[in-house]
Amino acid sequence: MIKGSYSETDDLELVRAVLGGDRSAFSAIVSRYRKMVARTVKGMLNDTVYAEDVGQEVFIKLYYSLSEFRGESKLSTYIQRIAVNLTLNEIKRRKRFSSMFSQKGNDEMHELEVPDYDTESSKEAKEIVQKALQAMDPKFRIIVVMRMLQGYSTKETAEILELPLGTVLSRLSRGQEQLKDILEKL
Amino acid sequence: MKSSGIKKIIINSTDADYDTGEDSNILETNGVTYDFSETFEAELLEAIYLKGKTSSRESEFSISMNRLFYKIMLTGAAAIVILLISIFLMEGSLSFNSFLGLGNSYDESTICLLTGN
Repeated sequence: MIKGSYSETDDLELVRAVLGGDRSAFSAIVSRYRKMVARTVKGMLNDTVYAEDVGQEVFIKLYYSLSEFRGESKLSTYIQRIAVNLTLNEIKRRKRFSSMFSQKGNDEMHELEVPDYDTESSKEAKEIVQKALQAMDPKFRIIVVMRMLQGYSTKETAEILELPLGTVLSRLSRGQEQLKDILEKL
Repeated sequence: MKSSGIKKIIINSTDADYDTGEDSNILETNGVTYDFSETFEAELLEAIYLKGKTSSRESEFSISMNRLFYKIMLTGAAAIVILLISIFLMEGSLSFNSFLGLGNSYDESTICLLTGN
């Protein structure tokens, strides 16, 4: 729920208010975008404790970099880029750590899954989505998360990921092949 | 929604020309929702305004360093055992001279080696 007095305020006004020292304005930004960030971070990392940490880092980084936000792109795009970068960094970090300290490989983070499903059907839907996503290569997974969970077009996806459109299109096509194989087994 | 419908939505998202805007809403109404814990915002604001950056990464780093230390220690111990076994096999004993590689040499040959006479 967005904080009362700021529910109608546009993003740029909120940013100015935060820079002016208004704490409740930043709280309003967090309320407005936490679900969007959660879709990216938890879609990529699954429901792990690391996902909560990365979510915190996204907003901490946003807070400290708000003075650099010029308003040339949407605030949502700006936050999304931070979320994507930090999430991909976390995946690389975990991969590096698990290869250094564990024999179990990259699946170490899955041990800390905290399922939070309401009904049987929603459990099934979320389970299928998460299993499919987690089985994908991260570079394809991020594009599917942007498209499927965030509802972005391929052009918007390319803009957020700061990739050429052609790269996004080729990854979509390769990701589709990978997904078909994965979904057959689910 | 049936699993086949969910799978179709997942596959559709990889179709470059497909408009996924509606599908993300369908997924959400079918329970594919994401949010952080209830304490997320309070912890975040505390981290920013009271504590500075969170220190959870530091504790994780120290755990990793502990594991690294044990790995190095075990590797070192294994190397020492292998070294002792190889010395025993080559020299036939584990005496001080064997450690120095002098187990099989006689005093005369050592003097000869050192003085050249």
